[in-house]
Amino acid sequence: MVAVREPVPRRRVDWGRVGLHAGCLAALLVMLYPLAWLIATSFKPADEVISSLRLLPSRLAMSNYTTALEGVGGVSVLRLIGNSLIISTGAVLGNVISCSLAAYAFARLRFTLRGPLFALMLATIMLPQHAVLIPQYIVFNQLGMVNTFWPLVLPKFLATDAFFVFLTVQFMRGIPKELDEAATLDGCGPFRTFFRIILPLSRPALITTAIFTFIWTWNDFFLQLIYLFEPEKFTITLALRSFVDTSSQSAYGPMFAMSVIALLPIVLFFMAFQRFLVEGMASSGVKG
Amino acid sequence: MRQKPPRASEPTTAGKLPVVITSLLLLCGLLAGCGAKADGAPGGKIELQFSWWGNADRAEVTNEAVELFERRNPGIEVQTSFSSYNSYIQKLATQAAGGNAPDVMQLDYRQISQYASAGLLLDLDDRPSISTGEVTSAMLRTGQANGEQYAIPMGRTSQVMVYDSARWQRAGVPEPEFGWTWRDWSRAMRQLGEATDRTGATDPGWSEDWFEVWLRGRGKSLYTDRGGLNYDAADLARFWRTTNELSQRGAVSPARQTTQIDGSAANMPFGRGNALSGFTWDSAVGGFQALIGDSLRLAPLPVGPDGTPGQYFKPSMLVGVSADSPHPEAASKLVDFLINDPRAGEILGVSRGLPVNRTIREKITPSLTGLDERIAEFQESLDGELLAPPSAPPQGDLALQTAFQRDYDHVGFELQSPRKTAEQFLTNARSELQR
Amino acid sequence: MSAPHPRPDADSAAAESAAGRNRPRRREGAAWVFLSPWLLGAAVLTLTPMLVSLYLSFTEYDLFTAPKWVGLDNYVHMFTSDPRYWRSAVNTLLYVLVAVPLQLALALAVALALNSIGRGKGFYRSAFYAPSLLGASMSIALVWRALFNDGGTVDDLLSTFGIDMGGWVNQPGWALLVVALLTIWQFGAPMVIFLAGLQQVPHELYEAAEVDGAGRVRRFLSVTLPMLSPVLFFNLVLQTIQAFQVFTPAFTVSGGRGGPADSTLFYTLYLYDRGFTASHMGYAAAMAWVLLVVIGIVTALLFRSSRSWVFYNDKG
Repeated sequence: MVAVREPVPRRRVDWGRVGLHAGCLAALLVMLYPLAWLIATSFKPADEVISSLRLLPSRLAMSNYTTALEGVGGVSVLRLIGNSLIISTGAVLGNVISCSLAAYAFARLRFTLRGPLFALMLATIMLPQHAVLIPQYIVFNQLGMVNTFWPLVLPKFLATDAFFVFLTVQFMRGIPKELDEAATLDGCGPFRTFFRIILPLSRPALITTAIFTFIWTWNDFFLQLIYLFEPEKFTITLALRSFVDTSSQSAYGPMFAMSVIALLPIVLFFMAFQRFLVEGMASSGVKG
Repeated sequence: MRQKPPRASEPTTAGKLPVVITSLLLLCGLLAGCGAKADGAPGGKIELQFSWWGNADRAEVTNEAVELFERRNPGIEVQTSFSSYNSYIQKLATQAAGGNAPDVMQLDYRQISQYASAGLLLDLDDRPSISTGEVTSAMLRTGQANGEQYAIPMGRTSQVMVYDSARWQRAGVPEPEFGWTWRDWSRAMRQLGEATDRTGATDPGWSEDWFEVWLRGRGKSLYTDRGGLNYDAADLARFWRTTNELSQRGAVSPARQTTQIDGSAANMPFGRGNALSGFTWDSAVGGFQALIGDSLRLAPLPVGPDGTPGQYFKPSMLVGVSADSPHPEAASKLVDFLINDPRAGEILGVSRGLPVNRTIREKITPSLTGLDERIAEFQESLDGELLAPPSAPPQGDLALQTAFQRDYDHVGFELQSPRKTAEQFLTNARSELQR
Repeated sequence: MSAPHPRPDADSAAAESAAGRNRPRRREGAAWVFLSPWLLGAAVLTLTPMLVSLYLSFTEYDLFTAPKWVGLDNYVHMFTSDPRYWRSAVNTLLYVLVAVPLQLALALAVALALNSIGRGKGFYRSAFYAPSLLGASMSIALVWRALFNDGGTVDDLLSTFGIDMGGWVNQPGWALLVVALLTIWQFGAPMVIFLAGLQQVPHELYEAAEVDGAGRVRRFLSVTLPMLSPVLFFNLVLQTIQAFQVFTPAFTVSGGRGGPADSTLFYTLYLYDRGFTASHMGYAAAMAWVLLVVIGIVTALLFRSSRSWVFYNDKG
């Protein structure tokens, strides 16, 4: 931000910026080392996976990948990834729609009980999820939804992720109030104001919601474990855990390989969507 | 602290919480019209859910056996599900609490008492379709609670000491054989610690399992048949003092290594190559074989001062039927098939430990190779030498198992004396057990 | 404004008069329409289970048999005769105090740097976010242990300088820090939120500040920081709430036990242990509600403080 519109004299080396690049690259070198280790390990032969601490494998072993690609319990990796995609995409749709609706009400509309309801919404993320796991399971069981994707997707359509409601509220409150006041004077009701003014201006929040929801749902092992029964419905994250059974012979090499495979879709998703973060306000054409 | 409800008078109330929640929701008028899930698969087929823990290899053979069962019983469809052990325990508990336990479930020795006394398991004594004639009565007893047969053991396992024979020989330490005592063991550890740059063994003080073997060797046991404690703080303090002294002399692994044990071979000091032996279950030897290689040998655990063996044959896992299953007959058939069918026995092999069914065990033993063969030989060498296994541990033991490991950390890092820690552990244990 | 408690008076009155003659009635109805998905979800999926767990906290509930009413027993036991409970509370507090400020500072610093870095922004953003993509998978736990173990990579590196630590994850004095480091390392989420917040700062403000002759630092303090304060506040509140509930990093790194010597036994880890391993779900529920009250108080304090440092654009 600071340097965004800085009138830099042409053709002169901007040492400040060079320093920034150097600093960032140095930080990345340290930060990405564990990741590099993870990827390198996925190519190590079985006897090196646990015992060797060296970064590079002594020889490239593709066997970890061939084992991982076979999938788990007769379910192919494609199927596992497909299931993860369905759940994560559903969750993204749900959160983007429902959280922005609720956030608009909290951020811009005045209604009785607004304060208490807002506090209540925040309170729902203050209770550790393990304490409500069983009551929630019972609800979904009574609804006949256990062993379907619904328990993983439906809650998102009902704005149960207060994190994103609060996030969107904070962003909407950053939108100048003059804008919707002008709209109101033009005769727009709350619905039109929401769709025409607020929603387009909340793009950074919506994109952030989408990115996080996708990645977090993808990685959420716990709920998937509880609600999915048939291996045919397993996700890639769930399968990843099945590789390591500490009570019997474990297969760490293929587990590392599968970690890398499971990582690819979310890496692609993040890379595809992160550029929208930049465009947020700039491209929406709003000037204060 | 709290009283346990008298079991006999308690009906199968597993569904109480679900009922409370459902009525709460019905009050809101939100669930009206949404009935419970429908039973059975389309086409009038009976659908059974069968869940178990294990890895991909076990999944493959289990699915194959289940397919055979489905072919034999065209009216029954079996839906299998599996996860790793820790996940499985959590998942099964949630399902059972939600009134949705699978029809047929693989169970751990430590789960039997709790699940049975909560009325979650079907009494299999009344099921004529399950035959148990091929299983020894000592083994069958491990699936009993309050005198009823709630689960059938599937495979058997025993405690084993795995060691690196090449390094033992080089250090000039005689290799162990059945009948060696804990005193012999201590001596060997000290010799190994002095003669090599590693420790003699993974410190056994971390696990209730090895304490149990030590205790049984002295004629005691973890629990009485009625589920009370059968040892006192002095026993535990003595065990911990011994192991901790060895640890400090460099004879067994130091606390910094012992604390990282999480059940996997790779995190055992022996598996990591920091120690020259370790105690484990023979069903888990494969993990060490992969890390140690050909010089890995199996030996029995030490016996008590008067030669009483502490180790025993334990069910590596059991199988039970849900009390709420709408198809108890079909479920029992599947259980019988898994235990007794010769063809299923061949398919399953030793994926769940050496089969408890005598005929099947004898039939498949000759075809075993490599490590499986050595484990079978090891068990055979102990046949007839060991005392009967204890009955299933009481409810609360699961919590004590982790508490045991946690508390030993305090001894190992010298934060507390063995005596004081043992006393604390027992206070805690008593309150856990009398709930 | 907007403390979690209603202050409809001043605030909304001001808003309404500013907006002129709007129709409060219709707005009220519209608000409920916008809220309806959340209301339904809260009623069925979150509040009902929460109330059930509140009820359970007054019972002895072993998951399988009917809950038995024991009044305040669980709470009394927790506060008076469970040393491990207090250990877990202290560990968690330490963790919150270490991890939250460090993670937020790092996220903000990197976000500011990336916002002005120009070329390669997309690459950097992805690269800095990459660790957060991993969540807390088993493999990252293994990597973490390999790095910070006795003879691990970090030890190796230090021993070339003659320092021999003998491992970090395996020592009671250091393990907590190693777990905190895992969280700090995964600072991608707050970073992205900061970046998104920076997008909302209108360029005009910088231009105006520049015309007034404000330097970099001055512009940061008088433009960036106030404009970013709602997002900073969000990150602070949410990271604090999440840190109090820290579970996965410790669960994976310590194999679920919270060792060595209980040094990474966090509150929710112990809660999980009580509820699912020891089958004291009533006790676990009581622990959960105590945590909720503590987090609630901390959050309320943050909201109260926010009145003096968070700047909202919607003040009419």
